[in-house]
Amino acid sequence: MEKIKANLIEHVKSSFPEASATNHDGNRLDFTVKKECIPSILTNFKDILGYIHLSHITCVDWLEEGEFEMIYIVWSPEDKIKIFVRTRVERDNPVMPNIDMIWRQANTYEREFREMYGIQFTGLVGAEEFILEDWDGPPPMRRDFDTEKYAEETFFHRPGREDALDVREEIIKRSLEEIPDYAKKYSR
Amino acid sequence: MIKMINDKNSQKIVDIIQNWSRKHSIWVLAYGTGCGAIEIPPTMTSRYDAERMGVRGAATPRQADVLLITGYLTTKTLKRVLRVYEQMQDPKYVIGFGSCTINGGMYYDSYNTIKVLDKYLPVDVYINGCMPRPEAVLAGFGKLQELIGEGKANGATKYKENLEWYRANQKKVIPTWKRPEYNW
Repeated sequence: MEKIKANLIEHVKSSFPEASATNHDGNRLDFTVKKECIPSILTNFKDILGYIHLSHITCVDWLEEGEFEMIYIVWSPEDKIKIFVRTRVERDNPVMPNIDMIWRQANTYEREFREMYGIQFTGLVGAEEFILEDWDGPPPMRRDFDTEKYAEETFFHRPGREDALDVREEIIKRSLEEIPDYAKKYSR
Repeated sequence: MIKMINDKNSQKIVDIIQNWSRKHSIWVLAYGTGCGAIEIPPTMTSRYDAERMGVRGAATPRQADVLLITGYLTTKTLKRVLRVYEQMQDPKYVIGFGSCTINGGMYYDSYNTIKVLDKYLPVDVYINGCMPRPEAVLAGFGKLQELIGEGKANGATKYKENLEWYRANQKKVIPTWKRPEYNW
């Protein structure tokens, strides 16, 4: 396993000198590249190294750093190694290269990112609406989207019962049990 | 015969017979929203056997009497539910199922589920719990039968009378209203 990993790192470093590799325990290996390199490095993995399976594409919102991190996870059935290809893209007006000509199923992921995070993909074909219907708010999976506030403004809420009792105080009255400190903040 | 039915006291007898027969043949539309639909198969099949009370599944909205809203209702599903509800023939009843339909439940802060079902549809019976067990579901059907027998399950009439109020609430969460206005 370690030998295969070392060979892989050497191979990738020779084609992409800017890529930085991180070795993890087990069958996992991380590469961090620039976003322009994404289509070429994934094509390299798929066609030359045999990493034919796109397991997942995921996005992390680094709000404090003003960036999104896109992670492409590919898998080889022969090497049995998961490769995480990471890249960063700026948070305001994010544009990513499109990879649905490499794996067609990436199209679905990318449409979801466009809707949930507001990330645009160059040359992405597909209906603008994916899961949400007539949505006019900001992209809902971004961390600065306040769902509680949005729900309060949009939907009706049922007021609580007026005769509702504080459960914890009732328990104390009946059983002489003491409330632990960590639970006190939940009491009304 | 017609003259006899128009008589006030005879109408009462007809109502009693009508309500009695309605309450013993509740046909439930096989339509599940959210996670609560998983409680329906055990309720219907041999262990709890709801069919002994006249509760059974119906394939299409036009044959069904009861619309079960099983669990959370997203605004996207609400459109379909309204379409289904308005296609159903009288008499029709709605059962709100699970705490999500009552006050939002664990989705109280979700951006795409409605929290209070009776602002959008006339609910006859609520069954609380997350999720309600089949016993609770049967108890809910029992309550509905009781209400039908007394002639008190009149959600559909309420919907007809207050259609404008319901529509205004529905359009608040469905900004692009792409279907024709319903005409009673």
